[in-house]
Amino acid sequence: MVEYALRRALYGVLVIFMVTVFVFLALRAVPGDAVRIQLADAPGVTEEQIAERTAALGLDQPVLTQLFHFLGGAITGDFGASFSDGSSVGGLIADRLPVTGQLGLMALAIGVVLGVVIGMASAVRPNGLLDQSLRLVSVSGLSVPSFWLGLLLVTYLAVYAGWSPPLIYQGPAENLGGNLAQMTLPALALGAAAMASIARMLRSSLLEVLQSDHLRTVRARGAGRGTTLFKHATRNSLLPVFTVLGLQAGGILGGTVILESIFGIPGMGSLTFEAVQMRDYPVVLGCVIVYGAVFVVVNIVVDLMYGVIDPRVRYR
Amino acid sequence: MRNAAPLLAVHDLHVDFDTPAGPVAAVSGVSFEIEPNETVALVGESGSGKSVTALAMMRLLGRGATLRGQITCDGRDITGLTEKQMRSVRGRAMTMIFQDPMSSLDPLYSVGNQLVETVRLHNRMSRARAVERATELLDQVGIADPRGRLRAYPHQLSGGQRQRVMIALALACSPRLLIADEPTTALDVTIEAQILELIRGLQREYRMSLLLVTHDMAVVAEMADRVVVMYAGQVVESGAAEQILRQPQHPYTTALFQCIPTPVTDRSAALTAIPGAVPSPHELPPGCRFHPRCAVAFDRCVTGQVPLFPLDGGARHSRCWLSGDAASGRADRTVVTSASVPGPARRRR
Repeated sequence: MVEYALRRALYGVLVIFMVTVFVFLALRAVPGDAVRIQLADAPGVTEEQIAERTAALGLDQPVLTQLFHFLGGAITGDFGASFSDGSSVGGLIADRLPVTGQLGLMALAIGVVLGVVIGMASAVRPNGLLDQSLRLVSVSGLSVPSFWLGLLLVTYLAVYAGWSPPLIYQGPAENLGGNLAQMTLPALALGAAAMASIARMLRSSLLEVLQSDHLRTVRARGAGRGTTLFKHATRNSLLPVFTVLGLQAGGILGGTVILESIFGIPGMGSLTFEAVQMRDYPVVLGCVIVYGAVFVVVNIVVDLMYGVIDPRVRYR
Repeated sequence: MRNAAPLLAVHDLHVDFDTPAGPVAAVSGVSFEIEPNETVALVGESGSGKSVTALAMMRLLGRGATLRGQITCDGRDITGLTEKQMRSVRGRAMTMIFQDPMSSLDPLYSVGNQLVETVRLHNRMSRARAVERATELLDQVGIADPRGRLRAYPHQLSGGQRQRVMIALALACSPRLLIADEPTTALDVTIEAQILELIRGLQREYRMSLLLVTHDMAVVAEMADRVVVMYAGQVVESGAAEQILRQPQHPYTTALFQCIPTPVTDRSAALTAIPGAVPSPHELPPGCRFHPRCAVAFDRCVTGQVPLFPLDGGARHSRCWLSGDAASGRADRTVVTSASVPGPARRRR
């Protein structure tokens, strides 16, 4: 299993490398020049100054030379400096990553807890009133994009409850209440899709397992609902749920880009968003590499969890 | 002959399944009793309703099945019990083992985990004590290295070992009635004999009654005290195994016996089979449900339901006009079919 994990990690590095190259080339293909966007508002900028700035950022070199230069630095852990203020990309990410980590974990926790509760409640009496109502909730969760849900939540709370989340970010250490007040709504919006797909998957998986022969045998021995539902049925339904969880973790990561910008949260998402707008290539690339790495790690963990849940799973 | 109160009595049991085409009767009016320590064989082809009857006794039929009639366990009717109340009946009063031991064991938990869970479900004891008991049970069902095998998962065991584990799990409940639904059908013939021998030994040791659901008349001859033969959801013959084996009354029972190949069976001839198949509950024939496949059907068989005639002063029963006529001396009949069975029944007449 260790060998398997190592091999997966190696593939993961390869994936991240390919993503990096692709994004690097894609960024250059996007219209708009980094220097001109930066200096667009500055009055009286001359063409000489623009050329000077371009040379200073190394953007006058051929694209492949720039790529090799970036990759050379990235391998040693140096992702370069931001085009806008020259601060190190590594430092920027180190500042922002914990914020997004908190948001992502909150979203995932909301999605998993609500998803599991809804999924189980629906499977106990399929097609009952509760199941029908919960189906409406989860289908809505699946269909509504997270940024729109985020906007709706903010708007409705502001209009009907007269409450809006704070707009100035506070770390959980300095003011936990204020931090949660700001983070909960975007986490809810981000977690809704995960909640919905986990609930749907767990429901159908549970219903199938509850019909299975071995569950019938457990009941034939006189086991109560606790043993049948929570011990035997749930664990047997978990494999597809974990698959969904891995995919949804990716969705949550992607969703942070827009939701952090909407809610004014200074995390990786808003950093990426601003960097793309400013054509701040090194920052965009650094963020993409981190997002990619998190996604790869999540998927390796999910694949290893299969083996923890099911003793029949063998890694080769 | 019968003096003790029956451990379990099924009276006029009907089971209907909801289908898109409306309710369908899988079991119609089945009655039989099981005495303490007795082995009753419930016999019939696939589709005769024997497994449905067994599952109905455990109240394990699931959604979409409607149950009517009485199932009395120790004098208590269990047909109206809630799922919660049934938990005290399942396991303690009766438990069930199934045809396919692979799909009947939870693949995600070790043998030991499932055994300890079941032992502690029915006995208040410490985990360590339950592990001891689990080891003992594995030893009793003939599993070598029981302590080591506690850690094995079902997929690491052979088919025979899995069925032994299933039996150990049933014993962990100390039931008074063990329902075995085709327990050896999925196993090799050599293993089959071992498993049957094991069940018989444990039945004596644990003083259990046994309801053996099977289609195999050889198994019946080996194991049963009493036999209940089912066809298309009805009991067609019942009585002491000895008598039924020696002198079957119903043409269906006779036909079932004809299907057992013997060492003297002519190998160049095709194996005997009952022509046709059990009718689907959607399209039951009028009159006797067996008449389209019966070698000795006559005019009366085609119309009107055949009652279950008591014979030998009520010790056995047969749902055939011929048995009724033999009892009453009536003999007016016109043969309407001569099905192509190499007439076991005809030969008998």
